[in-house]
Amino acid sequence: MSFKNSSSFVEERSEKKRVLVAMSGGVDSSVAAALLVEQGFDVIGVTMQVWDYSASNQLEKKGSCCSPSDVEDARAVADHLRIPFYVLDCESKFQTNVIDNFMDSYFEGETPLPCVQCNTHLKFDHLFIKMKELKCHFLATGHYAQIKSSPVHLVESSSFRDSKNRGKGKKSVFTKNREKVSSLRPMVLTSSDDFKDQTYFLFTLKPEVLPFLKFPVGSWTKERVREYARKKSLPVAFKKDSTGLCFVGKQSYSNFIQERLSQSSYLRKSNVSGLFRKHPEGDILGEHRGIHFFTYGQRRGLGLSSPTPLYVIRIDPESKTVWLGEEKCLYADEAWVREAHFLGDFSFQEKLSVKIRFSHKGSLATLRQEASLLHLKFDEPQKAITPGQAAVFYRGSQLLGGGWIVRRETKTHGNCIQAQQSKILN
Amino acid sequence: MKSFGNLNQRIYLDHNASTPLFPALEEEFGRWLKLYGNPSSVHWEGRESKRLIRESRKKLAEWLKVHSDEVIFTSGGSEANNLALQGGLRSLASSLHLGEVLTSDVNKSSFVFSHPSFSLKSLKTLGLLVSVVEHPSVLETARQLESQGIRLDFVPVKKRSGEIDLEVYEEKLKGQEIHLVSVMYANNETGHIYPIKKMAALAHKWGALFHSDMIQALGKLPFSLEDLDVDFATFSGHKFCALKGSGFLYVKKAVGVHPQMYGGKQEKGYRAGTENLLSIASMGSMAEFKEEMEGREKEIQKMRDEMEREIKKNLSGVYVVGQECQRLPNTSHIIFQAVDGESLLMNLDLRGFALSSRSACHSGASEPSSVLLAMGFSEEEAKSSLRISLGWDTKKEDLERFVQVLMEEVRYLRSISGEKASMRKEENVF
Repeated sequence: MSFKNSSSFVEERSEKKRVLVAMSGGVDSSVAAALLVEQGFDVIGVTMQVWDYSASNQLEKKGSCCSPSDVEDARAVADHLRIPFYVLDCESKFQTNVIDNFMDSYFEGETPLPCVQCNTHLKFDHLFIKMKELKCHFLATGHYAQIKSSPVHLVESSSFRDSKNRGKGKKSVFTKNREKVSSLRPMVLTSSDDFKDQTYFLFTLKPEVLPFLKFPVGSWTKERVREYARKKSLPVAFKKDSTGLCFVGKQSYSNFIQERLSQSSYLRKSNVSGLFRKHPEGDILGEHRGIHFFTYGQRRGLGLSSPTPLYVIRIDPESKTVWLGEEKCLYADEAWVREAHFLGDFSFQEKLSVKIRFSHKGSLATLRQEASLLHLKFDEPQKAITPGQAAVFYRGSQLLGGGWIVRRETKTHGNCIQAQQSKILN
Repeated sequence: MKSFGNLNQRIYLDHNASTPLFPALEEEFGRWLKLYGNPSSVHWEGRESKRLIRESRKKLAEWLKVHSDEVIFTSGGSEANNLALQGGLRSLASSLHLGEVLTSDVNKSSFVFSHPSFSLKSLKTLGLLVSVVEHPSVLETARQLESQGIRLDFVPVKKRSGEIDLEVYEEKLKGQEIHLVSVMYANNETGHIYPIKKMAALAHKWGALFHSDMIQALGKLPFSLEDLDVDFATFSGHKFCALKGSGFLYVKKAVGVHPQMYGGKQEKGYRAGTENLLSIASMGSMAEFKEEMEGREKEIQKMRDEMEREIKKNLSGVYVVGQECQRLPNTSHIIFQAVDGESLLMNLDLRGFALSSRSACHSGASEPSSVLLAMGFSEEEAKSSLRISLGWDTKKEDLERFVQVLMEEVRYLRSISGEKASMRKEENVF
């Protein structure tokens, strides 16, 4: 990316590098902006307006991120820092890439990760283009993650290349010459704050984007971030962290979906009620109102009474069947992943730590290519591997990549066997 | 602060959004600020304040060639539009309910003070006709009235040219019972000037009252209400170099309007609330400078036309909205192919130029211009446009500098959108 052709940029003749900061109105992105100003960058703050709250019947969703009052908080912080501030119109992109995907996932029997869709299509795609359009050198967010550069390591020729060089048969070269920018490969590492670490949601970052990214609070703990905000008298220093999905707010996800079912684009999916069946025998246990009310591993809210606790083992969107079974049936030691994406080189001989949901601690697994999917074989059985969630790969603290968990028949651990499945489905 | 441009050298080209205070007014502040008495008070201090309001009202009435009695001060243009639509319709509703028929021919010596109690049910008998290109304070008010039972219909504009077809308009009046029409004199986004005189006459022919939002016209071109025969007209101080916080509604004698604000008897009971003395005085004073402002009409138009020629000469893929139509002399709305309008605005701001593309929504996000969408432009086109509105004091050299920077930014953004397109393998929009 070069600004050489823009005489307007050359005219600026500023030694300062320009950074575009995505500001949500929360403490983290506000401190990120403040830090960059302190570090001497020419900072521009933007908020993405993703949701038209005036169209919603609900009261302003305070505490859910990106509401009108959050935009005003971001604006107040920008004014306090004396930086330019703009609100970007991202409603239709958000609707298409995040909300529609969210709705579709539930009707496909999956549990979606809208934050990853937002990162993929808005924060690190749309905003990346804005970064270029506004002649910025970097894009920054308040994510708890770190970017560090390291010399590229020599890798085995059978290794799996990062997505950019896949199939080209190129070998990476180890060089001691750190002045060659091309020999420095940025890596994404987990944050210093284990609890707040957000690398799980960043697995779709493209390697070519990494040299332009900054995560100013990534090496800090939440306490340190808040302390800094107080010290700098940022207007949001005492603001509570937002919880839940930004577009859902405090209501339940199923309420949100129910509300939208009446909208014409989703009407065709509205008939989703079906049967509860016992896994693995197939006995009918009752009826349910819709597969979108359930997620894998769910125990509460089934609306059934049973002598032993029942858990959602599997959801079949075609037959609209929700399979319930004992807890032991939730465990599996393999998973399949589509659209696997890598940020760095690795070898299939290497075992990686895989997180199967945000709150998961990560477990060692062996990876193997299987046609267009990636097969994961865990050393230990994992509970409730959920289609629609992401399997994210780590080498220690380095984020290596990830992919989307797909629904597949799996051999399960323990006494719970799958039998007569095909007979029942026919 | 590098990113704002040099604050002393910023060039402001967003006069349709708001205007800087007319320099000569600053000298008056010393006198006005000493008038702190409540204009409704009995004592001397109150009377002096009241006098200032009376004088301001008189000057504005003279400017527009109307009667002082026909001017109602409000907090601004939005309130005046609300008063015209809501107050006008409620007045009609109650008078219809009482069996009276009001037309603009009735010759009475004072306002018809409508009966204060009206029923929502009677509103349902009324029809409101507004143009599709009105300002949000008219459109939103119309939609709210519709939800309360008013029949609402819209006057369309011709595709791409943006003009109003008078035949289509008359069909709308004929085809249903319309009691109030609201069409703006000039469009704030594109500068289009609509044939208000003919439209008001047609409205009256079919038994409807006529309101016109004239906010964008006053101060930009010679103007009077004398021969326009409208029943209501809206004006806003901060659009003609007066202070923010005041506007007024012209209500023709013998036409009824229902108050929207109750309380004291200010404005003869039509609009309660202690008057914004400073803002009203600033509006009144501007009447004395109307020649300075209106007198520059030809010169400003020349600069605007020259600017458009220069841009079209040096850039491809440029479309000037309504160029062949009658427009305000200062307004230019231009669509730039393959340019992200949002980024263009931001880059221009960062380089010290103030512009816009439309009225901003409440959170300040730049959404595609709804006026352009109503004119049949695609969403892509409506997201690639820029509104340039000159002021009475815009200098030629500033405009030339702007054109230079604009061309650089357009070219730069086109180079990025070229990259964007090849990244996404999308076809070009146009």
